[in-house]
Amino acid sequence: MLQYFHKLRRDIGRPSVHYSIGALTLGGFIAGVIFWGGFNTALEATNTEEFCIGCHEHKENVYQEMRDTIHFTNRSGVRATCPDCHVPHDWTEKIARKTAASKDVWGKLFGTINTRDKFNAKRRELAEHEWARLKANDSLECRNCHDFDYMDFTTQSLRASEQHSTSLAAGEKTCIDCHKGIAHNLPDMSGIEGY
Amino acid sequence: MMKQKTNVTAFLVLALSLFLGVATADEIATLRHGTPIDSESDPAAIPQVFDGDIKTKRNYPMQPPLIPHDTRDYDVNLQANKCMSCHARRRTEESQAPMISVTHYMDREGNFLAEISPRRYFCNQCHVNQTMTREVLENDFQDMDELIEERAAKSKDD
Amino acid sequence: MTVSRREFMKANAIAAAAGVAGVSVPAMASNVITGEDLTRLVWNKAPCRFCGVGCSVNVATLDGKVVATHGDIKSPVNKGINCVKGYFLSKIMYGKDRLQTPLLRKRDGQYHKEGDFTPVSWDEAFDVMAEKFKAALKAKGPTSVGMFGSGQWTAMEGYAAVKLMKAGFRSNNIEPNARHCMASAVGGFMRTFGIDEPMGCYDDIEATDAFVLWGSNMAEMHPILWTRVTDRRLSASHVQVAVLSTFRHRCFDLADIDIVFTPQTDLAILNYIANYIISNGKVNFDFVNKHTNFRRGDTDIGYGLRDEDPRQKAAANPNSGGSKPMTFDEFAKFVSDYDEDSVSKLSGVPVDRLRALAELYADPDRKVVSFWTMGFNQHTRGVWCNNLIYNIHLLTGKISTPGNSPFSLTGQPSACGTAREVGTFCHRLPADMVVANEKHRAIAEKIWRLPAGTIVGKPGFHAVLQNRKLKDGDINAYWVQCNNNMQAAANINEEAFPGYRNPDNFIVVSDPYPTVTAEAADLVLPTAMWIEKEGVYGNAERRTQSWYQMIEPPGESRSDMWQVIEFSKRFTTDEVWPKELLDASPDYRGKTLYEVLFTNGHANRYPLSEISPDHSNNESQYFGYYVQKSLFEEYAEFGRGKAHDLAPYEVYHQTRGLRWPVVDGKETLWRFKEGFDPYAKPGSDWDFYGKPDGKAIIFALPYEPAAESPDDEYDLWLSTGRVLEHWHSGSMTRRVPELQRAMPDALVYVHPDDASERGLRRGDAVKIVSRRGEVRTRIETRGRNRPPKGLIFMPWFDASRLVNKVTLDATDPLSKQTDYKKCAVKMVKG
Repeated sequence: MLQYFHKLRRDIGRPSVHYSIGALTLGGFIAGVIFWGGFNTALEATNTEEFCIGCHEHKENVYQEMRDTIHFTNRSGVRATCPDCHVPHDWTEKIARKTAASKDVWGKLFGTINTRDKFNAKRRELAEHEWARLKANDSLECRNCHDFDYMDFTTQSLRASEQHSTSLAAGEKTCIDCHKGIAHNLPDMSGIEGY
Repeated sequence: MMKQKTNVTAFLVLALSLFLGVATADEIATLRHGTPIDSESDPAAIPQVFDGDIKTKRNYPMQPPLIPHDTRDYDVNLQANKCMSCHARRRTEESQAPMISVTHYMDREGNFLAEISPRRYFCNQCHVNQTMTREVLENDFQDMDELIEERAAKSKDD
Repeated sequence: MTVSRREFMKANAIAAAAGVAGVSVPAMASNVITGEDLTRLVWNKAPCRFCGVGCSVNVATLDGKVVATHGDIKSPVNKGINCVKGYFLSKIMYGKDRLQTPLLRKRDGQYHKEGDFTPVSWDEAFDVMAEKFKAALKAKGPTSVGMFGSGQWTAMEGYAAVKLMKAGFRSNNIEPNARHCMASAVGGFMRTFGIDEPMGCYDDIEATDAFVLWGSNMAEMHPILWTRVTDRRLSASHVQVAVLSTFRHRCFDLADIDIVFTPQTDLAILNYIANYIISNGKVNFDFVNKHTNFRRGDTDIGYGLRDEDPRQKAAANPNSGGSKPMTFDEFAKFVSDYDEDSVSKLSGVPVDRLRALAELYADPDRKVVSFWTMGFNQHTRGVWCNNLIYNIHLLTGKISTPGNSPFSLTGQPSACGTAREVGTFCHRLPADMVVANEKHRAIAEKIWRLPAGTIVGKPGFHAVLQNRKLKDGDINAYWVQCNNNMQAAANINEEAFPGYRNPDNFIVVSDPYPTVTAEAADLVLPTAMWIEKEGVYGNAERRTQSWYQMIEPPGESRSDMWQVIEFSKRFTTDEVWPKELLDASPDYRGKTLYEVLFTNGHANRYPLSEISPDHSNNESQYFGYYVQKSLFEEYAEFGRGKAHDLAPYEVYHQTRGLRWPVVDGKETLWRFKEGFDPYAKPGSDWDFYGKPDGKAIIFALPYEPAAESPDDEYDLWLSTGRVLEHWHSGSMTRRVPELQRAMPDALVYVHPDDASERGLRRGDAVKIVSRRGEVRTRIETRGRNRPPKGLIFMPWFDASRLVNKVTLDATDPLSKQTDYKKCAVKMVKG
């Protein structure tokens, strides 16, 4: 990977002596692919749990809370990582989400949530962002794994199948309406419908 | 596995002999299932929590109902009370869950409040899940209905 | 002695008609049953059988069986609610393996230490038992017999046992299991105030602005008090809750200030708070100057281990509770070492948390209640912890007024009533008196109608020492009642178990159920429990409560009271008292201990005719006088006029209990405060009358390390404790299927990183290994308890997973109470 970058830098830094326009165009195309690939690779690198919990704000708060939950440890070992729920899979939305998430960097620099108490003080606001996002996209990230069409209501608990076969099926409700706080502790829920 | 079976058998024999009042064994501590005090038995696997949503009969009207479902990751703390998202009065139509008892809306002095009484806030102090453990000793508690029927039958005989 | 079924029903019908102690409610009748008389339940009140909160419950009986229980709406303690254990009280008597007859280890028709348990008659049981006690007394004297009782005895049972041991056998080797539970609290009270038990009461909860929990998981262990704390916190938004523990538990769900500290550093945090109060100018000098003295306590006092233990030998002042006077300035200098940075480093608690905690105490406009239980008391510096928390309340004058209350909670239903007030300890007599004091002995001998010199002045062996002495063969005849010490005592592998099975010893265990302790015994006596007898309990807020017998015990079960009194018939003074004593008082010659102790005209002065006409009273009907009332009234003589006043016996049957001292029919809510406490001298404002000058003591005591800390090999702290669903060792609650299913096994709670670093995960079978032994269980990495890295927690309720094979029997050198919260272990797969 590093060698690629070295070569690329060398190539760009040198005037074209030997290559034709066509070759340059082709080269530009290749460079574009490489650049594009590099950008996406870097982007993908930020889409891993390791990257997320590189910040102690994430590691000590939300990550610790998730470790107990069924989205982290369960009978089949299929688990969600941070980006599975918090980063859209679709590219355009991903970029939009990433742009919004750049606020985290400011938060990090200014220490907005650098203690547990500060984090807890902002927990409701942060949670509300996520609820709003998931409400707006009809719980898209949930549905990446939990596909309504393939749910077997008969193997769900009575309570679950009743809700899923009615409200969810009719589109009156979306996942996040009921499944708040499934992977992290809930914020102060006063005034929230259903609590 | 074999050892477990022997233990269970030993326990049953022991329990039976105890119930008949003819204990002859050395290991009488029923809850150790026949393992001598200075030995260690295989610890049973962590049992699963019952999640079948089937209500059980209460032993008497004032007994707090047992929780017939899993409550893993339910937050009940200063921030939120997950149980109330189904069992609060205003939530029961949607959830079809039983409403918390009317007593739960009363304060220490017996006045009715609009919301769950804070003294009843931590549900788990009275309401508990049931695991599917197999290590349960028998209990001879008799239901009042059973005793009343016995009594009624007897008064007919007299 | 038993009432026929028909008589019993008749008695119940009368009780129902009179509606004596509760409300009569018809049960839901199904359509096949008609007639109210068929469905009417008889209701009576009783204090709950379990913890020290002392909730009152209503118990319904039908045809001699308990059919329902619920929280007593009339009780100021619980106002109609119970915890999950309390709600299942109805079923604790009905475990299928209730003991029905005495069981004696026999081989070839004879008692044999290695024999099999064989049903025998009470006569045979007592014959063998008396022979063994007589043989021990004859061979080695009074120190060779012992008794281990309970904070779950009724007050009168404990009192009868004290009389039998201290006066009858002239042995001070009697202890309650409360030694494991609140001996450090007693030590703290006696040292700081000169008189035992909390000054405040539960009414403080509704009056306060802040709660601080020091090593107390009230949410599980004092659930109904926790409902009151929760009620207060959620009803008044300015109220704050601080929770301190060595691991996160259910109380943290209500915490505004959550503090997890390194084990043993609570001592440093306490001194830091005192330092904070002083350095921020928040000392209430008006109060401090008038009502306190300062003293510097002896340090480096050892760890209550066997004398030959190197840690014990290394101590400069082993077991010393000595102290010297000091000035306020010297005290201020002493605590100035405990600054926020060094205490934060030592304890692992962030500075902002420490400050927030200290400010709760320092803020003069905030009333504070401090609660503590086993985190403080089961501590090798437990008495110090108690002293240091009083320091903080005394420096700020936040004491003995509504809402300002350093409050030591108790674990058992009558740890206060029976263990402490009756004085069933090896060094105590009733009403805070001690055997070492000649005047105190003389008072007891006078009330007991005994010759001078009957009671021995040398304290007996305390609980932990009793197990050591059994192992060493110094105690040879030993009677355990109403507790499960083979499960509850620390280091059973090295001390208790070899002690009980020592071929030289004869061990008797009285219990309703075949417990681990019963299994380790040589003779097991089937015992009546709770409402199968009449009794009195005293709870943590000095509330004395009584109940009537409501049902018959099963089979040949008899109450502890009956056992003690009946056993006394088998001894004469000539057999157990020395010649000099009898020569000086020849009138006592040839009498049985039963005559001398229990039917001397005074101890049996209330006739059978005074028992409740609506209830059975097996003991009174058997012995021919009102046993409970006679013993209660004799016991009450010790405390009346001495700031321990109890009301007349009947009053307790009519009320939901009263908080002593009860003077002129009025209970006392806050002691030591003029206006609330009739014993506080007029004009004193506060009067700590337990001390000769009326002043409480503020002690300078340092942080000192634990007896055993993790090292390279044993790299984890082990803390042990209780759970909500089971009462102590689970001998009652684990026979209730609903409670057993709710909490079936004692798992070890582990931080997920500690598990994964050892290649372990939730559900894996592990061995917890210490220098003393090992226990096998399974790992829990989530759930109600969240230890930090480096500490694991395992409850001790589970008879099949005896965590006390692993724990260390280090004690507080002053209180002799074991530290069950700290020892070093390793955890391996297997």
